[in-house]
Amino acid sequence: MSDRGIAAAGVYVPRGRVSADEVAEAWGTFDGRGIESTAVPAGDEDAVTMAVAAARRALDDAGADPASVDAVALATTTPPLAEEELVPRLVRALGLPRETRAWHHGQSAAAGADALETALNAEGTVLAVAADAPSGDLAGDDHALGAGAAAFLVADDAPVSFDGVAAATDESPGVRFREADSDEVTSLDVTGYERAAVRETTRSAISGLDLAADDIGAASLHQPNGSMPYRIAGEGVVSNEAVAEGIVVDRIGDAGAATVPIGLVAALESDTDGPVLAAFFGSGGSAVAFAFSGRLDGDEAAAVDGGEAVSYVASLRKRGRVVDGDVAGGGANVSLPTWRRTLDSRYALTAGRCPACGALSFPGEGACDDCFERVDFERAPLSSEGTVAARTVIGQGGAPPEFVELQEREGAYGAVLVRVDAADGDGSALMPAQLTDCDPESVAVGDAVRRTVRRIYVQEGVPRYGAKFAPVE
Amino acid sequence: MSEAYIVGAGQSPFGSFPEETYRSLFDTAFDRTLSSVDGGVDAEDIEEAFLGTLGVGGRQIGLSGPAVTEHVGLHGIPTTRVENACASSGYALRNAVATVRAGMADLVLAGGYEVMTDTSSDNTKWWLGVSGETEWERLSGTTFAGVYAQMASAHMDEHGTTVEDLSRVAVKNHANGAKNPDAHLGFECSLEDAVNAPEVADPLNLYHCCPTTDGASAVLVASEEAAFDLTDDPIRVAGVGAASGRVGLFQRPSLTSIPATRTAAERAYEMAGVGPDDLDFAEVHDCFAIAELLAYEDLGFCEPGEAGQLLREGRTDPDGELPVNTSGGLKSKGHPIGATGTGQVVEAFKQLRGKASVQTNDPVRGLTHNVGGSGGGVTVHVFERSSEVES
Repeated sequence: MSDRGIAAAGVYVPRGRVSADEVAEAWGTFDGRGIESTAVPAGDEDAVTMAVAAARRALDDAGADPASVDAVALATTTPPLAEEELVPRLVRALGLPRETRAWHHGQSAAAGADALETALNAEGTVLAVAADAPSGDLAGDDHALGAGAAAFLVADDAPVSFDGVAAATDESPGVRFREADSDEVTSLDVTGYERAAVRETTRSAISGLDLAADDIGAASLHQPNGSMPYRIAGEGVVSNEAVAEGIVVDRIGDAGAATVPIGLVAALESDTDGPVLAAFFGSGGSAVAFAFSGRLDGDEAAAVDGGEAVSYVASLRKRGRVVDGDVAGGGANVSLPTWRRTLDSRYALTAGRCPACGALSFPGEGACDDCFERVDFERAPLSSEGTVAARTVIGQGGAPPEFVELQEREGAYGAVLVRVDAADGDGSALMPAQLTDCDPESVAVGDAVRRTVRRIYVQEGVPRYGAKFAPVE
Repeated sequence: MSEAYIVGAGQSPFGSFPEETYRSLFDTAFDRTLSSVDGGVDAEDIEEAFLGTLGVGGRQIGLSGPAVTEHVGLHGIPTTRVENACASSGYALRNAVATVRAGMADLVLAGGYEVMTDTSSDNTKWWLGVSGETEWERLSGTTFAGVYAQMASAHMDEHGTTVEDLSRVAVKNHANGAKNPDAHLGFECSLEDAVNAPEVADPLNLYHCCPTTDGASAVLVASEEAAFDLTDDPIRVAGVGAASGRVGLFQRPSLTSIPATRTAAERAYEMAGVGPDDLDFAEVHDCFAIAELLAYEDLGFCEPGEAGQLLREGRTDPDGELPVNTSGGLKSKGHPIGATGTGQVVEAFKQLRGKASVQTNDPVRGLTHNVGGSGGGVTVHVFERSSEVES
């Protein structure tokens, strides 16, 4: 074994949380055993934005230069588009090199294992990212479903070394599936059959690692609910104490392909001794188990415990389950080629520095905003934090057509001008942006805000992403 | 170079007229313009037209100018549609003045028209919104109200301007508009009403925003020789100023001032040889309450930060030292985008003729100020009663 393994990790969980009690009050029941709350993505969040957020945290955690990344393996069962490579969006949003190799895994909740294994088997510095926000039948499966993302920076000479992988595969259809053209995951709910399929397949994979149950320090086992990991671990496979270290579903719900990866980060950050186990079950009938040794000294799994309570109705709105989204009147027709030209400025807030007078212009096109000379701007990276210079709140009925659906999901949103300093400290630029993840009424001129990547709007069926700002807490 | 004079000006009623078309509204404005000429005028003598419109909801973007002039029987004259968002007809007037001064024509029509209330509110928002900076500002989710609200937030932060200050703009302009038979919202409002109205874009509420309006307006611009043939008391266009500015607020050096207004005003004052102290009244662009306060400061009526005080002290009331928006302004009279700029000139013409619905005390000189977008294009015109100034 080389020392190839996990150099750093990042976890992102959406801010909104709806409690099991709230759901039970609405439906008279709650179909998520062992789950106290589930994470609710905001109206401008999806697998892409969560993946970017988790990956950025992993890179920051490692102090890694984005330019050093060789490849990205992304796992999600909920891509915003059914067909279109998503990794390039991450590559651009994170500022990774154009030579980056891209892999995309999906098709089951075990996709996170595929991304991780791809990264571990590849060469160089590789990001393995799992991001998911599944949805299901509102009256049942949906109760347990949450959202989140985890990213691992896989490299040689890592503090967490990869010790082995084992798999088991046997057909067991109907356990968890999504019909073509449907947004809802479902199952046949043949309880005994399902439990047995998950338990036996996953145990088979774990047994292939040849680990002594008593030695395992912490484990993240397939966790569609809070009880399944213990069913898998029972009878001496893994201790309950080790399983508990990797349980995250109780607080964020079943985040599909991201649940076990997020639990793995928690397990790797635990203060236990001994190997760390990650075991994924892919509906249809495959399981994969990984063994690692070593620990991460970050605090990324703390994101699991954060959040802000939202009502059940608000959670449905945020997820677009009760909004129309069909708006007449047309949007601002900024063509995709025009949009693409500005991607670096949109994601990374790059301004232009005037070679004639030294002033910054944003986005840095045309004549200089300060000396009015027609110049070829030098690209000037901006800080990821800024200060609100002007603000307003766009309330119901006030949004331009392309933002009506967002407003239906999120309610009134803040539209601000943010003053952002150049990364080198020389000068600043103003930019228009939307606020996110906050009560916009509470944000005042002078407040500090931090950049995040969110979906701006969807036009002609294509989601467009860019920077928004959230208050610095 | 010839001087240019206004010899007639008229507008249709401003309001919500789903049964009217942009042509029929212009027909009314054109009729009233012809009738306002003292000695009468033969429409056949009109040699050229410049007409402002944003695009009447998208139904006639191309060649809407000829569609209007042919409709009112101005057959075959060169007609140019001018589009500079809310400053479209301010620029149309400027083009008409330039044409007369250049000696290319003796009698030129400037005007504008817009129909905004017969399409869905979504469609209206789309038409209004695309006059802001589109790629960044609009796609941060802002509307026009939002951009002006951002300016208001910065002005409040920098100068301590209050919601009451903003609301006094509405109270004053509604009081004036209530007396204007052509106003869209011809009712009065109390300070309490204006402070407590529903929020539109914090800190701006409903009473801090002008309505969307249907209407048309027109002005007849004449050379010196033609002007004195038509009337004994033509209104001289003493100063013309115009300036462009960055379309996006975020691209400008100040969030509490519209640089294009300052530049346009300097140019107009210089050409007229006057300053703000020489004015007897002004019609300023008050699409949002903060816009009127910014106009006070940018047009030199007061120092930066003192607009709220100017208003509080009643100095821009009809009986104050510099009455502003005696027509009711965009807030009460209405804002039919393309018709607004020359609509302001209709009020200036009436004031200088002593025929305004809120008549100020024997004015000699007045100013109109027309802003496109949130400041991407501005015109300022200074008008004088030629008989008074020369005597």
